[in-house]
Amino acid sequence: MAEKKRKSKEESGGGRLQKKRKNSKPKTLKKRTGPRLPSKLRKELDLVNPNPLDGGGDEEIDSDEGELLANNLYEYEEAAPEEESKKNRRFDSVENFEYELPEDFKDENIASDDDDIEGEDEENNRSENSSQLGDEVEEEDDGRHMRMLQGITGMPSEAFEGKKRKNNVVVSEAYPESEYNPSRDVLEGNGRISIQDLLDPLHGKSGYSKLRKRMHQVERKSMSVHAPLPKADREKLERKVAYEQSKKDITKWEPLVKKNREAPTVYFDEDVDLGFSTVGAIASEFEPRTDFEKKIASLVHDDKVLEAHRKMISVEDVEERHNRIAKMRSLLFHHEMKAKRIKKIKSKTYHRLLKKDRLKTASAEIQMDPEAAKELAMKQEFKRAEERLTLKHKNSSKWAKRILKRGLDVQDEGTRAAISEQLHQHALLTRKMHSMKDSSSDESSDEDDFDENSAGSDEDGASKLLAKAKKKTLEVLEEEDKIPDSGVLSLPFMVRGLKKRKEAAYEEGKLAINEFDASLKQMELGSGAENLKETASSGRRVFGTVKKQVQEFSNKDAHYNNSDSEDEFKVKENIEAANDQNNNLPKHVDIDAGLLREESEIGQDPIFKSFDDIVRDPGPKTTYEVAMFASGSWKKMKSENEANGNIIKPPSKSVVPPRHNQDQGEVGGDSDTDDEGQMVDGTLSSGMKATYELPSQAELIRRAFAGDDVEEDFEKGKEEILKGENPEPEKPVLLPGWGQWTHVQQKKGLPSWMLEEHEIAKKKREEALKKRKDAHLKHVIVSEKLDKKAEKLHTKTLPFPYTSKEVFEQSIRMPIGPEFNPAVVLGALNRPEVVKKAGVIIKPIKYKDVNPHERVEEHGQGGKKQNTKKSKGVGGKTIKKTNNLK
Amino acid sequence: MKVKVISRSTDEFTRERSQDLQRVFRNFDPNLRKQEKAVEYVRALNAAKLDKVFARPFIGAMDGHMDSISCMAKNPNYLKGIFSGSMDGDIRLWDIASRRTVCQFPGHQGAVRGLTASTDGRILVSCGTDCTVRLWNVPVATISDSDDSSDNSMKPLAVHVWKNAFWGVDHQWDGNLFATAGAQLDIWDHNRSQPVNTFQWGNDSVISVRFNPGEPDVLAASASDRSLILYDLRMSSPARKLIMRTKTNSISWNPMEPMNFTAANEDCNCYSYDARKLDEAKCVHKDHVSAVMDIDYSPTGREFVTGSYDRTVRIFQYNGGHSREIYHTKRMQRVFCVKFTCDASYVISGSDDTNLRLWKAKASEQLGVLLPRERKKHEYHEAVKNRYKHLPEVKRIVRHRHLPKPIFKAAALRRTMTEAERRKEEKRKAHSAPGSISTEPLRKRRIIQEVE
Repeated sequence: MAEKKRKSKEESGGGRLQKKRKNSKPKTLKKRTGPRLPSKLRKELDLVNPNPLDGGGDEEIDSDEGELLANNLYEYEEAAPEEESKKNRRFDSVENFEYELPEDFKDENIASDDDDIEGEDEENNRSENSSQLGDEVEEEDDGRHMRMLQGITGMPSEAFEGKKRKNNVVVSEAYPESEYNPSRDVLEGNGRISIQDLLDPLHGKSGYSKLRKRMHQVERKSMSVHAPLPKADREKLERKVAYEQSKKDITKWEPLVKKNREAPTVYFDEDVDLGFSTVGAIASEFEPRTDFEKKIASLVHDDKVLEAHRKMISVEDVEERHNRIAKMRSLLFHHEMKAKRIKKIKSKTYHRLLKKDRLKTASAEIQMDPEAAKELAMKQEFKRAEERLTLKHKNSSKWAKRILKRGLDVQDEGTRAAISEQLHQHALLTRKMHSMKDSSSDESSDEDDFDENSAGSDEDGASKLLAKAKKKTLEVLEEEDKIPDSGVLSLPFMVRGLKKRKEAAYEEGKLAINEFDASLKQMELGSGAENLKETASSGRRVFGTVKKQVQEFSNKDAHYNNSDSEDEFKVKENIEAANDQNNNLPKHVDIDAGLLREESEIGQDPIFKSFDDIVRDPGPKTTYEVAMFASGSWKKMKSENEANGNIIKPPSKSVVPPRHNQDQGEVGGDSDTDDEGQMVDGTLSSGMKATYELPSQAELIRRAFAGDDVEEDFEKGKEEILKGENPEPEKPVLLPGWGQWTHVQQKKGLPSWMLEEHEIAKKKREEALKKRKDAHLKHVIVSEKLDKKAEKLHTKTLPFPYTSKEVFEQSIRMPIGPEFNPAVVLGALNRPEVVKKAGVIIKPIKYKDVNPHERVEEHGQGGKKQNTKKSKGVGGKTIKKTNNLK
Repeated sequence: MKVKVISRSTDEFTRERSQDLQRVFRNFDPNLRKQEKAVEYVRALNAAKLDKVFARPFIGAMDGHMDSISCMAKNPNYLKGIFSGSMDGDIRLWDIASRRTVCQFPGHQGAVRGLTASTDGRILVSCGTDCTVRLWNVPVATISDSDDSSDNSMKPLAVHVWKNAFWGVDHQWDGNLFATAGAQLDIWDHNRSQPVNTFQWGNDSVISVRFNPGEPDVLAASASDRSLILYDLRMSSPARKLIMRTKTNSISWNPMEPMNFTAANEDCNCYSYDARKLDEAKCVHKDHVSAVMDIDYSPTGREFVTGSYDRTVRIFQYNGGHSREIYHTKRMQRVFCVKFTCDASYVISGSDDTNLRLWKAKASEQLGVLLPRERKKHEYHEAVKNRYKHLPEVKRIVRHRHLPKPIFKAAALRRTMTEAERRKEEKRKAHSAPGSISTEPLRKRRIIQEVE
């Protein structure tokens, strides 16, 4: 900045100077210090010592000088301090402090000014020389003048010093400002000598370019020494820096400290060094000291002895190892022999038995795990597929053809048997298999059913299935007749229980069989016929109760016609909507499936038997039932039926809505329409309007509670409670015998103080009642009774660290005692905040890096890490001794 | 038909020894025990009462000095040793376990004002009003010398005479330096006869100094101009000064939280500061009724002990406004120095009556080896008590202390005074324009200025 200024100065020359002077004027004026003198005196002063700042002296100040005065304050300070000038004796003589600046201290703003001066110092040398004389004269003048002023004003000389010092500064440092200065013209005009001027004559001579470069450098980075700060300020700065530094340094502990503070438990007993922990460790530390010990040691550590020792040990070891290996070998050998012998056995019975065994185990395995079962199924499937492809067993072989050609009758029994066997095999393999327990999907099983049924008519298939079911049921019934004769089941009460249950099951089973029979019969009679009449009747029969209810509702509506009735209708509508959805479900159910479905239902609810229902039944469920049947898990299902009697509830539920639908149809006098419910609503309401006036809600309530006066009761109750909590004061009564013999009291009545007391007590009570929370609440009782016993169990305010009641309650919710918690968690629940051990020295914290974002580690690690090292020396032996201090 | 039968393996139910406890299986289903809260509350109550029953904190007095005890130092490397210096220039090393003097360090002409031991416990530094700093070799403790209490006296390793009387000394943690407090703060090296560094900030004498154990180059001192000054040896410059309304007698750094220290003040309170934010105290620990003379942090950093001119020793939580414990005996006079032992389980106080007293840090703690079951029981009691500590009954029992009459009265008086002050303040506030009077919290009220 300074440089710029300087350059601009050089460029613009004198024209600029004028401007600057103007600028500098107000600044210098402000600088005036010292006491304000009377105007007369000032005039006088002006006369004697024409002030360069006032009027005429204006032109004497160089513009640069003015700038210097304005900016360069330190120049001002560097002037000889008052105490040094010894003009008055008020100051003790003190040694002058030498200021030194730190090396890296820089301030460019000031530097520039300095530079200015330095640069111009050279050029002003000459003028200074010439002005020397004038300066001296002026100084003398000033001294005299000062004395005079002192004499006149009676003020100490410092009062006038300010101005003067300025003068001094100017004189010694920069330019003479005396008006007698001959160099003034030079300064004022354009004839300033710059370095450029000095350099110009050297142009072309050797070393000129170097010099110029150097000059440029100097100009560019001008370094200057600044005046040092006062000691107090410097120290303050130092302290500030030191504090900031140490603050920053100490902040590194924050995460660690935070972690420790937040840890539920801090551990200080981790680095317990109890010395030697094992006998071996102690022995290893042993060093022989006495002669005897040394001798023993030399013997013990002797090579020969060691060798011998080693050998001895090795013999034992080797022997053991040998034995072990021998044992293993012999075992292996025996096993081999056994296997060989078994392999050699030719007995067919043995192998048959073996095979059986194997099959058994396999079947057991199948039962045990589904994986094996699946595998087996796959295998069988594969075989079947192969059979279907090759028709290997369908008498297509050469041998079979030949035999057939010759006629079966001619053959001997063995061959016939073989042929039939083969055919049987074929039949087995090509037959549809339903035994696969996890039927891959419902659809496939469905298809299978269709396949099977396609042989005969639909009815036929159904009847077949029914027959099958019946048979199975019978089987089950028979099966259950076996009574276990041993174990817990043979206990009398168990037997009784079993019997009972069996009877129930038997009944049920019988019922089922009957149903099967009935349905079979029905099928025979004319299964496909759809008897609508029957449907209607059945529907009525089933839902008679429901209908009644609905009628009841309508009756009620007739009476009240309030919002309740509307609600009812809404419900109905909802149901209808559901029904519609049900009806819209895809129904790809054929009759036999429906029948099956029905039969399964019959088992628990024989009354619900109508063809209509069957038709309405959604498809997927039937297939499910079929799958159950087909897979032969009927038995299982049956047992389940026995167990909870209600396993087929969901289907029966799904059956219900359609019937409901019918019912509503009846009520509304319409059937199978979506908006029948609305219509019902409409008819009902319209009927109501014609005959009935709508009573208001309050009226209704009043009517409802016509008999009992609730409000009265409540008020009475409240009064009682108030009496209980704020009891009424007792009425003052005459004490019998008190004051009676003088008849004083009888005349006066009650003593005044008694009445007064009574009054006060009454007032108090009234106030207390007014203060109650329920004073203004007519229909509310807020009990203010304090239970003193319960109060003990409550805190008056929320304890400090908690911010909400819930959190506090949560914190004491779970018990922590050993009766309520397993031993595993007990330690963690009851662990104190600080875990330390008596006799273990705790060292101060050691710094380690902690990731502030890490979660608090688990117990046992979250504690403070202690310095595990115990210093040697004095502490070496103290470690053990710390335990003495208990 | 499957029947479930109760079966128990014999392994689980046979005891190895006849003394073993029978194994008990419990059903922890909460529906079976609905009274658990009530049960635990009663247990907490009983635990609190038992605590009171077993509260016997005083273990014994160590008697031997001829004048009041002015300072103490613990051996950071040896639990049983404690040094004490008295006003007559006597320094003793005590064996805490036997409560006897192990040896004496004669030499000081005036009162011993400061004692400290190096971290390895080998060198003892003492200083006093006779303007000398003395370094002593600490005798190596052996098993034999704790038995015969021979009054073997030691010779000083070095004696440094200096320009001014000393008020305190403290040793750097894990270092060679120690600092003395006197007319200025001097930093000494073990091997130099002159201080290696001297700090002076203002003209008032420094009365106590304490190194930060976590951050060994940082130290704090208190001066008689009511100021607290922080120094940093790395910058070899003071860092910050804090001027309070009353003088600070002693300072202690939290050994587990290197930024925090607590100052024991003349105004009966202790002030915990964060060295980084000195414009307000983190916590004001009130309870003493007279000037707090000395303070020492527990090595766990969770509590500290204070000794006061009101003849009591108190133990505070590091973040608690009131003391958790107060110790006093009939014969204990003004307490001048207190120390926590290095294992945080004992407290030692030195007082005007020439005795050192040994206290338990937890008044009702059971001494000696605890069986695991015993320990668990104690832990459970503690946990339950801690859980229900907010309930009035438990709180009352836990808080109740029997106080000597003068202290009780003084405390009551202080309470009324502070209450009156508070009321006045409140009224003033109520009767002036809203917002015109702002009450400063106590944490700030006692601070005059933070000087850079």
